[in-house]
Amino acid sequence: MRVVFRLPDVGEGIAQAEIVEYLVKKDDKVKADQPVVRIETDKAVVELPSPASGTVVEIPHKPGDTVSVGDPLLIIESEEKTAKETAAPEEKPEQPESEEKPKPMAARKASEKAPEPKEKAAEPASRVLATPHTRRLAREMNLDINSVSGSGPHGRITDDDVRKAAAKAVAPAPKAPTAAAVQAPATAGFDFEKYGPTRRTPLKGVRKRIAEVMVRSVSTIPHVTHFDETDVTDLLEVVERERLLAEKRGIKLTILSFVAKAAATALIEFPIVNSSLDEETGELVFKEYVNIGMATDTEAGLMVPVVRDVDRKSILKIAEERQERSRKARERSIDLDDMRGGTFTITNIGSIGGNWATPIILHPQVAILCTMRAKPQPVVRDGQIVIRTIMPLTLSFDHRVLDGATAGRFTNHIAALLADPMRMLVDMA
Amino acid sequence: MVVGDFAQGTQVAVIGAGPGGYVAAIRAAQMGLEVTLVEKELLGGVCLNWGCIPSKALIRVADLKRSMELAGPLGLSAKDVLVDLRKMMSWKDGVVEKLRKGVESLLSSNKVQVVQGTARLTGDQSFSVESSDGVHRFEFQHCILATGSSSAELPGIPFDGKLVIDSKDALELTAVPERLIVVGAGAVGLELGTVYAKLGTRVTLLDSAETLLPMLDPQMGRVMQRAVKELGIELILKARVQGLDRTESGGRLRYSTPEGERTVEADQVLVGIGRWPNTRSIGLEKAGVKLDKRGFVEVDTSMKTSVSGIYAIGDIVQGPMLAHKASYQGKVAAEVIAGWPASFEAVEVPGVIFSDPEIATVGLTEEEARKEGYEPKVGVFPFKALGRALTLGEGAQGFSKVVSDAATGTVLGVHIIGPHASDLIAEGCLAVASASHIDDVTLTIHPHPTLPESIEEAVEQIEHKAIHIFNPPVSGQ
Repeated sequence: MRVVFRLPDVGEGIAQAEIVEYLVKKDDKVKADQPVVRIETDKAVVELPSPASGTVVEIPHKPGDTVSVGDPLLIIESEEKTAKETAAPEEKPEQPESEEKPKPMAARKASEKAPEPKEKAAEPASRVLATPHTRRLAREMNLDINSVSGSGPHGRITDDDVRKAAAKAVAPAPKAPTAAAVQAPATAGFDFEKYGPTRRTPLKGVRKRIAEVMVRSVSTIPHVTHFDETDVTDLLEVVERERLLAEKRGIKLTILSFVAKAAATALIEFPIVNSSLDEETGELVFKEYVNIGMATDTEAGLMVPVVRDVDRKSILKIAEERQERSRKARERSIDLDDMRGGTFTITNIGSIGGNWATPIILHPQVAILCTMRAKPQPVVRDGQIVIRTIMPLTLSFDHRVLDGATAGRFTNHIAALLADPMRMLVDMA
Repeated sequence: MVVGDFAQGTQVAVIGAGPGGYVAAIRAAQMGLEVTLVEKELLGGVCLNWGCIPSKALIRVADLKRSMELAGPLGLSAKDVLVDLRKMMSWKDGVVEKLRKGVESLLSSNKVQVVQGTARLTGDQSFSVESSDGVHRFEFQHCILATGSSSAELPGIPFDGKLVIDSKDALELTAVPERLIVVGAGAVGLELGTVYAKLGTRVTLLDSAETLLPMLDPQMGRVMQRAVKELGIELILKARVQGLDRTESGGRLRYSTPEGERTVEADQVLVGIGRWPNTRSIGLEKAGVKLDKRGFVEVDTSMKTSVSGIYAIGDIVQGPMLAHKASYQGKVAAEVIAGWPASFEAVEVPGVIFSDPEIATVGLTEEEARKEGYEPKVGVFPFKALGRALTLGEGAQGFSKVVSDAATGTVLGVHIIGPHASDLIAEGCLAVASASHIDDVTLTIHPHPTLPESIEEAVEQIEHKAIHIFNPPVSGQ
């Protein structure tokens, strides 16, 4: 029988992916679980395994195509037995059983449990059960209605299902504008060519994702940025002294891991900065874990690998994990999961330069810390002008959730730890 | 308006003020956009001036006459109902004018600038309007093309407005023809053929198809075929027109059938074989707007054409050439321009023929449902078994038929042939659009005695539970 392998739901919030490469050709024989296609999702390249053994009869896309969850990636003529074995537990009983339905990747592993008897010979059709109002709601939330699972009878999709799916998505698009705020896309009607030749390339992959995430953030979060600086002269001495120890373990120690540790300590002290606002329910969600994302510049664009439980790891361990994840991010082999679940983000453009920046918060977090280049500067200590190494710090925060006073105290806490490595040792979480 | 070389700028230009264009213009204005609407003839387009509206007015008069003539058994006698065609036309014109004035005043209240003239795109952000006082130039940020369609001609038999007429001419006749040939048994042919048959014309209806209304549920074609015959219309199927010879009194149409060559004479020949999209000579090539092989403008579900900022709606894009489709798409285009996530997707366009009896359908037929992979379960309820239909005293022909998906109980299609089908279909439209479960229909109280009870009973009949009909298993199950 024919198995349509559709783009599965590869994880929360990913509705689209770009096909990087097919690893098989038409007429190739494939085995179940053999990697058949490489796709690029928001931040990683993932290889997808074949759901069935058989022969590839159709490849409906070519590399570079963007596909949505539920779109066919590959059509395989399989031996019936195999197809049955790989049929996943059906979430929606009315849906065609002859197709490999979009479903979480993890669910596929458990598939052997549920060989369901096939009832119909003809390829059954099934329309999305949703009212026009619900469909519009999905469009407003930038969701493909086909990717929403319905909780109603026969999988009927309710408004609530759409809202829940949207809340799950990492970065749903901004809601429809109100009549007063209506306007055409900002660049609509621009005649760029009027002033000289131009070249156009589509915004896609990581770049597109960044654009969506940033728009989502600035259009929902009222940002305030707090500026400060700290004296890292002593800390840099520690970094310099311990660098050798780290190198012996294959770790490149930088000030960033100390910043992460200091931030984790401050986050424990100020749990509100480690919270998120559930816009759906209007509740603050306090997280009892501290996972810090550290922005990494890659060729494809900015990526934010996350180091988990920073409060429970040594500075060297933090450095090691960050180093590993940054490498994977640059190589595009990082697991999506390693870029999720962050509760706070640190971005550092010290290596490039600049004195100040106003970072954009990674929604739904409520704050982001940006460290800049530490430079020797004349400062006043005990009434004397001395030369110290000063590092600027900026903290953007969500003014819906916290106020300037909290942000200031939080930043002071970090600044104080970074200024005094002994204090850090004593206080660190 | 600025005359000469200065181009006037507009945020949204809408070209064509038919039911697509004027609706798009009003919706865009409602969204706070500044709108210019260009029309070369009359506000309301073909639909309001020479199509839907005037034909319905004439159909109403013809029906009234027929009802009066058939009222004998009901205890009324009105013999020799006299037809004053001139008066009839002027009443119809009055209805049209009233509605046109309404559109005009709505546009003005919504601050839509209306420009009279023929628009042609001159680039991807500009167009010119040729009007009685010269050529005016406009520049736009967004443009909605809504130029509609024109009657298709029979090869070698061009319209002349006298012997060979189209639907527009047929709505403005000054005398009831004695004999009328109608080529094409679609909506136009059936509606206008019926009007003139009722007014006393001997009508010959030709169509090349093997059956009447082949795209609809086959039972509908059979009912229609009987009804047409009862009206005294001569229906000739599988007929291919070969040519037209002029005679003293009119014309002689030559056509071929599987049985051989035939001729038929008449005073006039009404050609209603379809319509062509008005996509030529509107400057699409200047803007780079792409057409498909059949001459329709290519659009996506946001009604966007191949050129950024230019949208197309209605008869010039693929899909049925129906006013309500154009209006819906007009709203989608206007909302998309205003930044809303509107879309013409998962939309079922209902179809209505104001024949006698009326036909109205929405969604999938039984056969289409099966082709799409559903296992259809259908229910049918005849108007003969419906109290309200019998009280209308008009023979109670036809039925309501509902197609559902056996697996989920979803209503997939509703097909009605019978009295007031055009009004009844709205319930079907809502059910199909909402993907209603059949229970949603049967558990809704339908007022008694009314025609919509036929839909309720048809749905109940799916599960052999219709009350007012004995429920043997339905054919096709």
